[in-house]
Amino acid sequence: MSDNKILCNTGTVDLSIHDISEEVDKLINDEESKLKLTPENADSGIAKLVLTLVELIRKLVEKQAMRRVDGGLLSDDEIERLGETLMKLEMKMEELKKHFNLTDSDLNIDLGPLGDLM
Amino acid sequence: MDKMIYCLLLAKSNHTKPETTLNSLKGVMEADLLAVEYHNISAIISDVTEKQLIANKQRAMEFALVIDKLAQKYTLLPMRFGSMMDSADSVMEMLERNEVEIEDNLKKVKNKWEFGLKVIYDREKLKEELAAKQDNDKLTLAKPEISSNNSVYSTYILNKLKEHRAEEQILSFVDSILAEIRSHLQELKAVDKCKKMTNDTTLIDAVFLLDKKKKKEVVNLVKDLQQKYLQLNFLLTGPWPPYNFVEINIK
Repeated sequence: MSDNKILCNTGTVDLSIHDISEEVDKLINDEESKLKLTPENADSGIAKLVLTLVELIRKLVEKQAMRRVDGGLLSDDEIERLGETLMKLEMKMEELKKHFNLTDSDLNIDLGPLGDLM
Repeated sequence: MDKMIYCLLLAKSNHTKPETTLNSLKGVMEADLLAVEYHNISAIISDVTEKQLIANKQRAMEFALVIDKLAQKYTLLPMRFGSMMDSADSVMEMLERNEVEIEDNLKKVKNKWEFGLKVIYDREKLKEELAAKQDNDKLTLAKPEISSNNSVYSTYILNKLKEHRAEEQILSFVDSILAEIRSHLQELKAVDKCKKMTNDTTLIDAVFLLDKKKKKEVVNLVKDLQQKYLQLNFLLTGPWPPYNFVEINIK
């Protein structure tokens, strides 16, 4: 983006030039967010895709559960069991991410004009 | 030879014929530009080789620069990089087939510029700020007896609930700013398209179409918003050709 197209850029958010140029590079190259499938990395490529979907569903379930907790719709016992389930799910996801050498940002696919997946 | 199409423009919106402007411009990889005219509309094209179609930053910039320069003088509809047809005759036939739709779209963007507005934020700082406002430290679960249960699972749920409420507060905050921005834009008779929280740093990502004469007003509007929301960064860009406001299915 040329400077003369920036009409106003003010504020106090401490975003370094590095952060912004990283975003611009991402827009131009868009390589980081692509699913790179080759014969050599087919396993990890598929794992990334599958874990992305699992993580998305896990987060949706968690969100829905929090709405129900917040609304006072669950009993003590149900909250206890829900906590155990969500905690174990999160731990299992961490385990799988570690196993396939993936980070949270790897699972947050860039959907282009729609923004990030999560 | 295949033709790359840069934009479709209203040739009669300016007294200067497109050819005169094109003489001083070069297309992707220094390609010569020419106009294919049909009644009131023209397509700006150049010869294209396979090499020119390989997208990279420089070629995309050259392509965008042609559109940007022409937009200074003409009402136009930008085409996507890589739009091509097999000959100038095919381009002419395309103009003929789509004349009505193209003219309708050109009328919608006549004398208008596109502007982009990004509202950037520090997620953690904003969460803290909103939480402080809501006295979130005193958060308890809906049923008091649950919060007194200190099992690891209920503590886990309590922490998740705290995060959930913080997220809800951010969403409510972004909705209120968005409503404020849109209300000001409506006063300026702008057409807008807004998305919220597209990633961890962008609270609002908006584009809007505005009368060319109102550029100064929109700059002042953004400056006023910045004064009001010191914790956010407002990044206003433009004027751009109407990249996000062309709704046409080329037949």
